[in-house]
Amino acid sequence: MKHHLYIEMDNCIGCRSCLAACTQCGGHEERNRNYVYDVDPLVSRQTIPLMCLHCVNPACARSCPAQAIQITDEGVVLSALVEKCIGCQNCTLACPYGIPKFDQEQNLMYKCDLCYDRTKEGIPPMCASVCPTNTLQWLTDEQLAAKQSRHALGQWTASEPYNPLEGMTNVKISLPGILQGKQKLF
Amino acid sequence: MQGDNRTTTFANKIHPNEQLVPTHCSYCGMQCGMNLRVDKSTNKIIGVEPRYDWPVTLGKMCPKGVTAYQQTNHKDRLLRPLIRDDASLKGTKDGFREASWDEAYSLIVSRFQALQRQYGKDSLSVFSGVSMTNEKCYLTGKFARVALQTRYIDYNGRFCMSSAAAGFLRTFGVDRGSTLPWTDLHETDCLFIAGSNTAECHPTSMFRVWEVQNRGGYLIVADPRETPIARRADVHLDLRPGTDLALANCMVNLLIRSVRIDKEFIAAHTNGFEELKAIVESFTPEYTSEITGVAPEKLIRAAEIYGKAPNAIVMFARGIEQQTRGADNVSAYTNMCLVTGKIGRPKAGVATFTGQGNGQGGREHGQKSDLLPGYRKLTNPKHVEEVCKVWGITPEEMPQPGVSAYEMFELMDQQTIRGLYLLCSNPAVSAPNQNFVREALRHLDFMVCSDIYLSESAEYADVVLPSVTWSEDEGTVTNLEGRIIKINKAQEPLGESKPDWLIEVELAERMGRGQYFRHLKTARDVADEFRLATKGGYADYYGATWDKIDRQNGVFWPCRDEADTGTPHMFLDHKFYHPDGKAKLCALPYRPPAEEPCEQYPLRLTTGRVVYHYLSGNQTRRIPFLRDMCPEPYVEVHPETAALYGIHHDEVVRLYTRRGEALYKVKIIEAIRKDTVFVPYHFGHEQSVNLLTIDALDPMSRMPEFKVCAAQIGKLPEGAVVS
Repeated sequence: MKHHLYIEMDNCIGCRSCLAACTQCGGHEERNRNYVYDVDPLVSRQTIPLMCLHCVNPACARSCPAQAIQITDEGVVLSALVEKCIGCQNCTLACPYGIPKFDQEQNLMYKCDLCYDRTKEGIPPMCASVCPTNTLQWLTDEQLAAKQSRHALGQWTASEPYNPLEGMTNVKISLPGILQGKQKLF
Repeated sequence: MQGDNRTTTFANKIHPNEQLVPTHCSYCGMQCGMNLRVDKSTNKIIGVEPRYDWPVTLGKMCPKGVTAYQQTNHKDRLLRPLIRDDASLKGTKDGFREASWDEAYSLIVSRFQALQRQYGKDSLSVFSGVSMTNEKCYLTGKFARVALQTRYIDYNGRFCMSSAAAGFLRTFGVDRGSTLPWTDLHETDCLFIAGSNTAECHPTSMFRVWEVQNRGGYLIVADPRETPIARRADVHLDLRPGTDLALANCMVNLLIRSVRIDKEFIAAHTNGFEELKAIVESFTPEYTSEITGVAPEKLIRAAEIYGKAPNAIVMFARGIEQQTRGADNVSAYTNMCLVTGKIGRPKAGVATFTGQGNGQGGREHGQKSDLLPGYRKLTNPKHVEEVCKVWGITPEEMPQPGVSAYEMFELMDQQTIRGLYLLCSNPAVSAPNQNFVREALRHLDFMVCSDIYLSESAEYADVVLPSVTWSEDEGTVTNLEGRIIKINKAQEPLGESKPDWLIEVELAERMGRGQYFRHLKTARDVADEFRLATKGGYADYYGATWDKIDRQNGVFWPCRDEADTGTPHMFLDHKFYHPDGKAKLCALPYRPPAEEPCEQYPLRLTTGRVVYHYLSGNQTRRIPFLRDMCPEPYVEVHPETAALYGIHHDEVVRLYTRRGEALYKVKIIEAIRKDTVFVPYHFGHEQSVNLLTIDALDPMSRMPEFKVCAAQIGKLPEGAVVS
């Protein structure tokens, strides 16, 4: 991938513009495909987005008995192919992050495809385009490397070092706390 | 212009068979850039595409912006004029029948003329809004004064920007909401933000706010609630609602005491320092802490950071402005910039977050009871003469200044005002003390309402006129930076709806005043006359042609002629707009809010907004995504306060004040002061929190004190049925 979706959790204000924008992408049938959660709503207003991380070796695709979940050359994990999906919902159970959604009427799984019809043309996905806070960013390799060195977050995986359940992901996330140890200007 | 920018070609790869019309959002003062997607075969708006090359917002949009396009072809749109013959049904949605424009106009003219014959010209009134273009705002002022010949015109900016305007006018002699462009925000070293729930009300400012912190700069937020922006602030000044003046005075006192002030700047460019120093002296951290409830060490730290910052920007919004001391709060916080000289240069200054889309432009051009185009004053004979020349009337014909928005309702109640022409506003939700306001509307002999949907206020009208959405007309808007931008037309008006400027021109003709209006045949005709009418005023738009706006991504006023490229930064020469060129440091003694808590009403009620809704909610409550995200109001209560009352999360309680009551679900959250409860105000009828708010007005700005009154929670009896 020339560009990466990068998530800076601390920036999220819970506006859910990403979800509204998700419905606007051509191939999304006006349904949003990701999640924003209140972290501890009785205490604070902190929220975090939960987007598909587009795992390098995705559990959803591995669990699919019909090989309906395709992975593109760019590493995008697509929605189930209509003609192959048998509606077993294995993927919704296999995904450690609960990403795939299921359409009962069509008996069909659907999930984030990183706005593939945009991103394959070099256009940012809708969620990162509109995100008013830069929680969701669409970064080049160089920009991402700069972020990584600044935040020093190691392998950029969701679950290392304790239990590398899914290993590497194409989407990179920075957990809350990015300002810790920040050198102040004055 | 349309179709030639980078975004359009770039994005059209994925939108074949569509035209992308670059424009701006219909909602708040951010005026985020967006492209409306128009289906080339049906010529209808079908969606939105980010406008990545708009320099202020870079394609970013909040959920309101993303779904704004859904207003245009919404099933609730008014497509034909409505007439209600049975006045006893006022205050309900019932009894309207569709009518032709001709019949509606005839009825309006005959009733308006009859009222004026019997009770005088001033028996009519115009109540307008600023979610419409400069051209419409300008023409509405002219319509009231030249077509209806009444003195009574005012607008919903009285509930929004009037305190900022009054405060800035007193301090600087000019009222441009921001002294610097928004593209400076992320490059400053300290943001001091008071009374602004920025993350929810101006979300697309947030990427710049966070960038200040990412660079190692500081964020200071003053708010009774730990809002999403306050959550990450370096210092959160969690003050009691209504105590801003004490806090601002304390900041100035600490800056003076620690000598983090610019004595040369003060001497050369300001007046009133000694008086200010004497007033703020008593505002020690300890004394201020008693008033505001903010810990002394937080006050000291905030002043230290602001004082040390090489560059800093003071920002505020309705939180400090919707108080009986709103204008004073504006001047008091602005004192911080002036005593430190942190103004009149890039990356340093002061800004208010303008609420409505055209809250800036709409307040400058004659919709206000005492103002004429170009920020001219009705009380200044020279100003009146200048405008009369453009309008073609004599100064004797110019009506006198009227009264402010809320005071108009008082005159309706007293039957001094008997007819109302309401457009682009929904005071049956947004005005304070709703029980009184709704009764005043019911008292009217005749009321016309122009809107895109049947709003709560339209329910009091005799005639409802269908106007167009922002996407079906063109014109200019002045965003919260003071940047004049262009709204483009993406679709022909739906049904028989018409733009408000055209309705006003056609009504003027039938009122027998056509000679002053009939030359205005297009929005551009109105724009040309409007620019001319501002020429030579404080808010001079004469040089801001539509071509120039397109060419340079907007024009900051003042822009006086063809060659002038506009004024992104104000006061770079350190010349302020008072006759002596100096800014006024205002010495302002503290007074508490109009209504303080007491035994009977021990809580402080404050009101505000959520990210999913805009103003009275007349637009956003109809958009499925936004309605799903926030379908109803609620009352936010601290868990310790909730325990005191024995109420739990999601329980419905009765919230009441001296003026009214409403039922709300409890939302328990630690992110609010224990002595304060909060309700969002975007909801109508029995859900409106403005049934409870107080009608105390700021003596200078006539702004109602929406942000604080005394309230009490009542637990409903066991087993009470709540619909």
